[in-house]
Amino acid sequence: MTGHARAGEASFTREAPVQYKRVYLWHWAVRAMHWVSVLCIITLAVTGFYIGRPYFTSSGQAINHYVMARFRFVHFVAAGVLVATAMLRVYWLFIGNRFERWDALLPYRQEDWKNMWLVLKKYLFVEPWKAPHYLGHNPLQQITYSFIYLVALVQILTGFYMFGLADPGGFFYTVFGWVGPLFGGEQVARFYHHVLTWVWAIFLPVHLYLTVRADVVHQESRISSMIGGGRYVRADVEFVDD
Amino acid sequence: MYFPLSHPWAEDETLGEHLERRGVTRRQFLKYCGEVAVMLGLSQAMVPEIARALQEQRRPSVIWLQLQECTGCVESVLRTADPTIGDLLLDLISLDYQHTLMAAAGKAAEQAKQDAMEKNRGSYLLVVTGSIPRNEDGIYLTIGGRTGQDVLMEAVQGAAAVIGIGACAHFGSVQSARPNPTGAVGIADVIRDRPVVNIAGCPPIADVVTATVVHFLTFNRLPELDGEGRPIFAYGSRIHDQCFRRAHYDAGQYVQEFDDDGARKGWCLYQMGCKGPATFSPCPIFQWNDHTDWPIGAGHPCLGCTERHFWDTMTPFYGRLPNVAGFGVERRADTIGLSLALGAAAGVGAHAIATGIHRARTRQAPNKEPADLPVIPTEKKSEEDPNG
Repeated sequence: MTGHARAGEASFTREAPVQYKRVYLWHWAVRAMHWVSVLCIITLAVTGFYIGRPYFTSSGQAINHYVMARFRFVHFVAAGVLVATAMLRVYWLFIGNRFERWDALLPYRQEDWKNMWLVLKKYLFVEPWKAPHYLGHNPLQQITYSFIYLVALVQILTGFYMFGLADPGGFFYTVFGWVGPLFGGEQVARFYHHVLTWVWAIFLPVHLYLTVRADVVHQESRISSMIGGGRYVRADVEFVDD
Repeated sequence: MYFPLSHPWAEDETLGEHLERRGVTRRQFLKYCGEVAVMLGLSQAMVPEIARALQEQRRPSVIWLQLQECTGCVESVLRTADPTIGDLLLDLISLDYQHTLMAAAGKAAEQAKQDAMEKNRGSYLLVVTGSIPRNEDGIYLTIGGRTGQDVLMEAVQGAAAVIGIGACAHFGSVQSARPNPTGAVGIADVIRDRPVVNIAGCPPIADVVTATVVHFLTFNRLPELDGEGRPIFAYGSRIHDQCFRRAHYDAGQYVQEFDDDGARKGWCLYQMGCKGPATFSPCPIFQWNDHTDWPIGAGHPCLGCTERHFWDTMTPFYGRLPNVAGFGVERRADTIGLSLALGAAAGVGAHAIATGIHRARTRQAPNKEPADLPVIPTEKKSEEDPNG
């Protein structure tokens, strides 16, 4: 940090001492949804990969084991919790604050697309100082999270469809029976349900890295905002969504 | 082996009279009716009704068309070592026109069909095996100089009910697999004005055909069908949920390769690409050839042949999931997914290093380009700066 004290910048700091202000972003319910989803998605991925390709087998008599059945049970419970969370999140898209509402997840303005390009360039080290600052999600985050929600939706639909097959005529079979033919067959639906998990496996390291990077490089206190709900931001910086 | 000519079914004889003449006892007959009632999922109180309807049945006329197909379904339906009453029923009603089995050939055979259709107009059962090729005006299948579609539509007009047997009649089977050069479709894609029963499977189980025919003869209507036109009494649940290897699935015991220890112990064939979890069929219960065996019983994974377009969607038959096209041979979806995920992690690492380098350069030459944010002053900094 000593590098910051170099001559040209020191005078700037002396003239304009930096003030911080605290902004409140995420309601405790949204933070709870985030962390519950994290647990559920990791559980679903681990159990799901076992169900898709059992990476160990048990030996001896079948009566002594219940491995796959337990994996499936945990998978279904985690799926149920995730779907309940997702339904709450959808409700929150309409009753949440301006950072949590649906329009904060859709870069629908022309300005958003311009800013997305600037944010993308920032990550490619091209004129990073031109990138706009956001209190909530920047447009790149907005479109990424919306895409992730869409991925989850496809997995939820295909998951319920396959779940329903065990009980023809039952609730899930009746309500989600249209999903299989839409994909062109059960195996195709199964394939998408399985392969989309890799989107999460790609998303996770990138999401973690960019969050940590925002905190380390730009002092954005993003991580603590998802725990405590608020951020300390520089009072002298202009935010697009302030 | 039953030989139809040994005891020909007389013109106005009922099925009851005919069976009696063939030496079938009433006890045997009622036992058969009871079995069919179980198969159809009916109450045992319906047995007398089934018995009455069947024994009063006068020789029902059936016209069996073989279109674009391999005759395997005929083999499955007709070849039985020990003919049951059901087989007799099926054999007898099948004989008006069946161009593989009938003695007549050429013009005589076609004439027999025309006669049967005219005589029994509105009352005969139409059984169809095989698909309809539609490309090039259907020239890929011609019988007696006429296209398959022409032959089918003529027979459909006077039929009381249409029963499609096998995957070809269901959706076109292997000839309709991508790229489907002959434009083969199932008969339900051609017959639009009435319900078509699809006895799905490649080949289907003979008992399902018999039970469906008995249902039609007893109640004078077709059994309840699912969205694919398959009778629900037979195709109502998945192989996976009826499989006798299911205990091994739940226990996590899987055959890893054919002939390994698990295979000898009869473990679950899930890892061998078994499509039981995606396939609705009564195979585990009905089985083939008088309950002799069925594919999974013989140690082979299910191919999913009762499902639409299984040649396209259930392949590779020995893999759990479809292959990803365009990535070469043996490149599984998981391999690609894992590579991308590792690539993302590596990319993140590289980006972190690049960030470090970028920051170091920015600090060394602060006037060349501005920092991302105005630099943050700290207490520590002012202490370090002696000129502060």
